[in-house]
Amino acid sequence: METGEDDLCQNNWGSASILDYEMAMEDEEEGEPNLHVFKASSSGKDNNNNNNGGQASVQGVKAQAWDPRTMLCNLSFMEQKIHELQGLVHLILGRNGQLQDEQQQLITADLTSIIIQLISTAGSLLPSVNMLSTTAPGSALFPFPREANNLASQTLNNGGASQELEDDAEEGENLPPGSYEIKQLEKEEILAPHTNFCTICGKGFKRDANLRMHMRGHGDQYKTPAALAKPPTKETLPGSDAPMLIKRYSCPFPGCKRNKDHKRFQPLKTILCVKNHYKRTHCDKSFTCSRCHTKKFSVIADLKTHEKHCGQNKWLCSCGTTFSRKDKLFGHIALFQGHTPAIPLEDTKPSAAASSQRGSSGCGNSNNNAAMVSFSLGSAANANQETSQPCVMDGKTSFEESFSPLSFDICNFGGFPRSIFDDSFQMLISSACGCSPINGGVGSVSDTSL
Amino acid sequence: MSHSILSALSEDLLVRVYGFLDPPCRKTWRLVSREFHRVDSLSRTSIRILRVEFLPALLFKHPNLSSLDLSVCPKLDDDVVLRIALDGAVSTSRLKSLNLSRATAVRARGLETLARLCRALERVDVSHCWAFGDREAAALSVAAGLRELKMDKCLSLSDVGLARIVVGCSKLNKISLKWCMEISDLGIDLLCKKCKDLKSLDVSYLKITNESVRSIALLPKLEVLEMVSCPLIDDAGLQYLENGSPSLKEIDVTRCDRVSSSSLISIVKGHPDLQHLKASHCISEISLSFLHNIKALKHLKTLWIDGARVSDSSLLTLSASCRALTELGVSRCVGVTDIGMMGLARNCSNLKALNLACCGFVTDAAISAVAQSCLNLESLQLESCHLITEKGLQSLGCYSKRLQELDLTDCDGVNDRGLEYISKCSNLLRLKLGLCANISDKGIFHIGSKCSKLLELDLYRCAGFGDDGLAAISRGCKSLNRLILSYWGELTDTGAEKIRQLEQLTHLELRGIKNITGTGLAAIARGCKKLAYLDLKQCENIDDSGFWALAYFSRNLRQINLCNCSVSDTALCMLMSNLSRVQDVDLVHLNRVTVEGFEFALRACCNRLKKLKLLAPLRFLLSSELLEVLHARGCRIRWD
Repeated sequence: METGEDDLCQNNWGSASILDYEMAMEDEEEGEPNLHVFKASSSGKDNNNNNNGGQASVQGVKAQAWDPRTMLCNLSFMEQKIHELQGLVHLILGRNGQLQDEQQQLITADLTSIIIQLISTAGSLLPSVNMLSTTAPGSALFPFPREANNLASQTLNNGGASQELEDDAEEGENLPPGSYEIKQLEKEEILAPHTNFCTICGKGFKRDANLRMHMRGHGDQYKTPAALAKPPTKETLPGSDAPMLIKRYSCPFPGCKRNKDHKRFQPLKTILCVKNHYKRTHCDKSFTCSRCHTKKFSVIADLKTHEKHCGQNKWLCSCGTTFSRKDKLFGHIALFQGHTPAIPLEDTKPSAAASSQRGSSGCGNSNNNAAMVSFSLGSAANANQETSQPCVMDGKTSFEESFSPLSFDICNFGGFPRSIFDDSFQMLISSACGCSPINGGVGSVSDTSL
Repeated sequence: MSHSILSALSEDLLVRVYGFLDPPCRKTWRLVSREFHRVDSLSRTSIRILRVEFLPALLFKHPNLSSLDLSVCPKLDDDVVLRIALDGAVSTSRLKSLNLSRATAVRARGLETLARLCRALERVDVSHCWAFGDREAAALSVAAGLRELKMDKCLSLSDVGLARIVVGCSKLNKISLKWCMEISDLGIDLLCKKCKDLKSLDVSYLKITNESVRSIALLPKLEVLEMVSCPLIDDAGLQYLENGSPSLKEIDVTRCDRVSSSSLISIVKGHPDLQHLKASHCISEISLSFLHNIKALKHLKTLWIDGARVSDSSLLTLSASCRALTELGVSRCVGVTDIGMMGLARNCSNLKALNLACCGFVTDAAISAVAQSCLNLESLQLESCHLITEKGLQSLGCYSKRLQELDLTDCDGVNDRGLEYISKCSNLLRLKLGLCANISDKGIFHIGSKCSKLLELDLYRCAGFGDDGLAAISRGCKSLNRLILSYWGELTDTGAEKIRQLEQLTHLELRGIKNITGTGLAAIARGCKKLAYLDLKQCENIDDSGFWALAYFSRNLRQINLCNCSVSDTALCMLMSNLSRVQDVDLVHLNRVTVEGFEFALRACCNRLKKLKLLAPLRFLLSSELLEVLHARGCRIRWD
């Protein structure tokens, strides 16, 4: 109930508490780290509630020229209703826990009817919201045993959804300057890991709710409902009738397009946007991917997203950029002068090893053959000499290494040394053909240079 | 006396004289004297290396080489290249052209070394290096000045490798990517974006789509586009070319199944200067609109429309407008008759090449007309034209004095008298008489006695003549280098003795000749020292003595087919270890060879084999180490 109270009591629409935003943001970040930021505002019920009426009216004014009298009439009606609502909620709050079932039912019924009236009036301010706001009361008409708390949040949630739709529609950011209020946080504030600190032990928390839970350990005085309730900030205090403005944020970095002094300033929508923008654009990328060790990020959520897909980017450019799709890589190469696709490294090692291995083995063998062709009757001594001095440079024959695992194999295979094997063949040839092999060798030399 | 004259000539005069000599004379030239040899060494600009052992010495001797051919040098590998790179004496900085076709043992490391070594490199041929892939392409891309690149059948080359080349060698103006099956639209697109100077592009047999044609159409200087058998390209793709590639001169869309005449019309419309249009086996009919547009091509020189339905009237209209036509392919065209051919002959008197294969209705009248009007005719294909008789051949003999190539395969009408007429075409270089059943020794005698320039003679399955005819051939056609005698039952060892006299023979097919024995093969081996290709399949009666002679004498043998031969273990080992240039061997159904024999023989030649055909069971019987080495050296094994 306390959230409902806070929001509805809030009349100073100008600035909401940062802590509330923080809370919404943290929810979002823990749940789905990489969803776009605007979702955060949808789950941030508190703010949306705040903005609901106000924004609707603002947009109404902006979108169409309405009859100002009807408008004023409606607004004052709403104001009245809100006051009624405040009274009711105070009543509930005052008798917290001591309320009888019958009374509670009465109060919730009243509450429901007021809220329905409120929403329908607010909806009539804006034609585009009409559809949603007329369905919202329908969904709000829950059977009675429901708790008012739930009901309220449900209704308001719907309102929030409708508002978010509006937000998305105007994402082109054609908000006229002045139609929103600009807030600018300082760098330290943006980068601070904790925003709530325990006054007793100094421990920091991201959310004030967690701080309140923590405070319970410091004594019984922190365990009362009042102490556990959300503390009202001065903006949410009832009674102030400030004009209702949308809030947008500016980046504190001078010269940035998101900075309010920039010529074509584009405001940031939420505090989460501010934080992510500032870290991504103006901070060091300190988180390195543990898989590829090349990609760096400044936002942990981005790192986590990348790590999900890291390794699937098999298309690599010589500049180090990776792509998950071949056509993207080729588009990149077509665009940048001198960039070429890189050939993956893992293939290199085995093939290089194989080639060196094959090189040596093949060479030994070819050496044997070369010896056989050009040194006609290569004596056994000659062959031995060659094998004992692997790197003999001999003009014709041995510019390849003589050592070879395969030639050893041949030795074992035939059961006699290779050199003898060659010689025996040479002898067979010469005896069979009755010609000197030397002539043959010379013949081949002259053919060569044809 | 001669000594004094020679010493009077200064070196630059000698160089000038040398410049007028043709290659065989240059070979003799360098034997004259030390001085002449020096002139030869210094003036020589191109060389073809047969044995890798001599490569460093030859490179050292000829410092001014601009073209180096290593395509028939099977033992070339990375280590050789690295050795040359380390050898400071070798100068390769002037090399512009490098032929590494089938050099599968050279891989990325060697290629990169070569590319760095030859700084002026402009032309590289690495076709049929089937194992080449992206890594090799990356190595080649080091040669930034490359202008021409041939990469046919580099089977592992993908878009990534092509991108490396495209980025590294942006001056490319000719590239051939035939059968590089991994290349896709992305690679072609990048090629067309980065190499704007491209003039000639071959993308035959690739699985590219219309998107590639769209990119190709953006090439401003493209002149030649070959896209034979691209099954995914259709009319919509070719439409892009209508307004693209303004300087297109030649296009080949042969066997593109989904291309029809409508897209050809659009290409013709967009390029009135088109000179060569090759559209064999892709259009089914020559339509009137196609004819109408073709008529506008005043410079058309080549037209291939093989396999289309061509009527006489369309042939007449065609020839009446495209009078510059020098080459016409109408093989397998239904509807080509004498009337059309006579009209063509009348109009296109510049015709040099005519393909009429399988045009069954063409008779002597058409051939006579062609022979009489087209006096420049150089090549005539008449395969399976059964109506042609000696009369047609008579007019060919009378008028076509420039005829160089004549294909009469499977022409029943060719007889001895016909051959006598043909023999009057004294410039004939290539004659194909395969499956002609009506010729005998007499006819062959005429050919042998008069066609002294003959380089190629195909007598496949000619049954009617014997050793005497062969004797005439061997006496008369001394420059013959290609002879096909397969399935010619009458050839005996006596005939083989005649073949021996053909010293220039490089390609000999003796498939299925049962009467030849070891003695005959020994005679051939002794005589034909230049033999590089030998087909002995099913020559069952050759014994080991023949193979031994082969092993000893035919040192230039590059490709040999020994299927179904009765070669023994030792003879096979001898052959394989002694033939130092052998790179392609077929060893199927060798009944007398044991597994050990195979292992032995293959180990002896595993460093130079590029292609090998073996029986499938041997895959498990040969040692895995041998197979690994073969694979690592870039040898492709086909298991039968």
